[in-house]
Amino acid sequence: MWCKLGLALLVILALGTFGIAEGNIKIGLFVPLTGFAAADGHSALVGAQIAVDLINAAGGINGRMVELVYYDDAARADQASAIARKLIEQDQVVIGISGSYSTPTRAAAAIFQQAGVPMISAYAIHPSIIETGHLIFRVGMGAPVEGIAGGHLAVEKLGAHRIAILSMDNDFGVSLSEYFKQTVLGLGAEIVFEKRYSLGESEFREVLSSIRGANPDLIWATAYYAGAANIVSQARELGITATILGQEGYDSPKFIELAGEAAEGVIIVTDLNRDSERPVVQQFLAEFQARAGIPADMVGASAFDAVKVAAYALAQVGTDPEDIAAAINGIRHMDDVVTGPFYAFLGREAIRPVEVQIVQGGAFHFFHTYTDPTIIIPPGL
Amino acid sequence: MPIGYILTVGTFTGIFMILTVSLNVLTGYAKQVSLGHAAFFAIGAYASAILTVKFGLSFWAALPCVVGITTLVGVFLGLPSLRVSHDFLVLSTIGLNFIVGSVFRYFSFFGGSMGIVGIPMPEFFGHPLGTAGFFGLTLLFVILTILTSFYFSRTWGRLAMEAFGEDEVAAKAMGINVAKFKIYAFAISSAYAGIAGALWAHYVGSVFPDNFGFDRSIDILAMLVLGGMGTIRGAVFGALVLQMLPEGLRVIQNYRMLVSGGILALMILFQPMGLLGRGSFLVKGFERLRGRLVSHEAEDMP
Amino acid sequence: MAVLQQLIFALVLGATYGLIAVGLTMVYGILKILHVAHAGIYALGAYIALSVLQHLTPNFWGALAIAMLTTGLAGVLIYRGVYYYTLRRSRIVPLIVSIGIFTAMNELFRLVAGPYQHSFPAKPGLPTLITPYFVITSKQLLILILTAAFLIALYLILNRTKVGLAWQACSQDLEMAGAMGVNVDWAVALNFFLGSALAGAAGVLMALYRNMVYPTMGHVVAYKAFVVVVLGGFGSVRGCILAGLLLGVVETFLGSLEWFEFPRDAIAFLVLILVLMFRPKGLFGRL
Repeated sequence: MWCKLGLALLVILALGTFGIAEGNIKIGLFVPLTGFAAADGHSALVGAQIAVDLINAAGGINGRMVELVYYDDAARADQASAIARKLIEQDQVVIGISGSYSTPTRAAAAIFQQAGVPMISAYAIHPSIIETGHLIFRVGMGAPVEGIAGGHLAVEKLGAHRIAILSMDNDFGVSLSEYFKQTVLGLGAEIVFEKRYSLGESEFREVLSSIRGANPDLIWATAYYAGAANIVSQARELGITATILGQEGYDSPKFIELAGEAAEGVIIVTDLNRDSERPVVQQFLAEFQARAGIPADMVGASAFDAVKVAAYALAQVGTDPEDIAAAINGIRHMDDVVTGPFYAFLGREAIRPVEVQIVQGGAFHFFHTYTDPTIIIPPGL
Repeated sequence: MPIGYILTVGTFTGIFMILTVSLNVLTGYAKQVSLGHAAFFAIGAYASAILTVKFGLSFWAALPCVVGITTLVGVFLGLPSLRVSHDFLVLSTIGLNFIVGSVFRYFSFFGGSMGIVGIPMPEFFGHPLGTAGFFGLTLLFVILTILTSFYFSRTWGRLAMEAFGEDEVAAKAMGINVAKFKIYAFAISSAYAGIAGALWAHYVGSVFPDNFGFDRSIDILAMLVLGGMGTIRGAVFGALVLQMLPEGLRVIQNYRMLVSGGILALMILFQPMGLLGRGSFLVKGFERLRGRLVSHEAEDMP
Repeated sequence: MAVLQQLIFALVLGATYGLIAVGLTMVYGILKILHVAHAGIYALGAYIALSVLQHLTPNFWGALAIAMLTTGLAGVLIYRGVYYYTLRRSRIVPLIVSIGIFTAMNELFRLVAGPYQHSFPAKPGLPTLITPYFVITSKQLLILILTAAFLIALYLILNRTKVGLAWQACSQDLEMAGAMGVNVDWAVALNFFLGSALAGAAGVLMALYRNMVYPTMGHVVAYKAFVVVVLGGFGSVRGCILAGLLLGVVETFLGSLEWFEFPRDAIAFLVLILVLMFRPKGLFGRL
């Protein structure tokens, strides 16, 4: 009896939500709009929507309008699996975009690859995501590149000798610190303190006290912007004057708002240059502020770029999955993206200059750019 | 027809049915309220992931080990229930979520924060199961769980559990070995949750420490409460509704959590026996309807 | 020197734990309800203060007062509107209602104020104490002074007033207290008012300390506060404060060690389970 009832419900569910609008090109997106990751999910959604609206305002892709189909995955792997199926089978999207974290993205990637539909991860960086298969791409900067660039910056440009490492205990934070550590050790610096902290932590005074005791001249702390704001303001409160070096997780004006004056002088390794004169960057920054009510962050920019890359490939070759993959792999110097320009896609991830930004006068500004191929191309490629 | 999507939702619904039915043994029968069921779920998932990925076992070879491990862990984690009761136990089980998650994150043996990826699909005569095959497998386990649980509900064990669930002192006075049955309840419950975990891990293909948080435990308890504590039909129905509802509610996806929080509170306030529990309005209505039909039939008889 | 400074951090952290948990323990003492939504009240306090600061007055004290008043009333509303009807029911009922309310509150914060963190624009207007041995920032000083003031006031109410006496009677036996002429309804409502106002104050203080207000800020707090309540011996205000301080010290000490990387929320629960195994009445129960 219960089985029958279940089956009946399944059928109703399927029929009730079934229906395809003809003519439009559908791009699928999964983002965490509820739960702990809701803020990032919202930014990613707004970023993707801006890209779609700009594309449509410019006449769509070869005359066809783009339709963004999105669902909330609550940053859960099983939700993302179900949503991936729904996007592929029911909405019949021609390409999927992940605006979510590594765990759900990893689960969805397997389904996109299996179904033969390309997918682009915006900012989820777990290495196993693009290893899933030949249809899975990533526009966000990988942890190896970011960590290695950070290492070169710390030792060669900022002259650090004694370095403290504070790592956020998730795939992002841990892999960043791993590559950073290898690089700085290779360049002759010394690690005087190293510790992981759990995600969601907001009290760092005691560990920063210990770091102060170790007397470093540079602190490499991996964090998302809320944690980063806590680390930076508490470090300055304790009178720590060492340079604090962050990454793209810091890259949100919310970081500066929350950390206040303590944010001044913080340097981050990222892929977004807010001082860039390229029109797409300034247009995106203005539009994001208008729609989200807060200035743009890296997550929103990455989702924007993921849609841009998808649209570029669709415009070049149409909707065949293998052709789309080939078109993305064939990208050379794509200038029309916010976190770029993308020089190429190697190993299914975007190769672009690494931007170094510094907080000055309450805003991120240009500090340095790495374009050296030995730094910006991930090791092993 | 988006058949793969339906089968996927069906598979996860089945997994949560196993979880809810297993929680029913612990919370419905033995009245040991657990807000830590996701911890047992996680242990099953991780056990199967490690046995297949690190030790190269097949899903089928790993499954008995998984059941063994989760049963043992259930016994061990059930020990506090002998010392503490009621609210203290609830808080200990909340703690289990955090402790188990932290252990998986902390020790690199469990993959640390990078998780365990590349968990294979179960094979059936040398062929990896597809979406439909896996749905069938899940359905099989759901039926097995329901059948064994149904069998258990007819035994002395369930009576003993309900007895000490109502009144521990009286049960002891009647000669029931309360400690033994409490541990049984934890062991049985944990073993089923382990199977659910193994299914989840092999279907999703990767496990991370943050997959099985406290909010999952709340979800599972909410399913049981909604369906009706103490009945298998209630457990199954609750999982069905709360797993399907979010899919149907995607239209109003921004308000989903608000609605499910509200449903949870209103349900327990006004229908504490759940939708299909003993004496709920649906069951009463159904019985009344049947009673009327039966009596009509009786009148019609010559 | 470093040790003294760490002790200050521990004290501040422990004080906030104690302040949140005191309200919970008061509720538990009388109604025997695991009031999970208390952490929602904590976040509500922060949000109310934030909106007062943004729209009404930049005065921190005004914002704190309005936040405490509002959260106090919200607590009474939850009691009179919901828990009141669950008193004679199985104990799982109020627990699950409470979880439902907590989830719904978190979602309301997100829907109304957005998913992003807000900064908390207030200056406490106290000096920073700098001694050769340690530094106490103005925000830390404010937390220590206010927590102490609240707790002393609570102590006086508990021990020197009729209300306190009524609460003690209620916590012994609710029905008997009613039969003896205690207006149980009022006593419990007042209990909720005070406990919730203190949680609201804790929310405001934490928002100020961390310069951050966000929808899920009550999450970890919700469960850690219970650890404090249990360690303190379920229903004992004094035990609760001691346990809060103890947890603050343990967390700060372990957090300062370079090699100790086990997550701190898990430590709290590990301690909880161990204590329950060996002292089922809590660490400071019946002290």
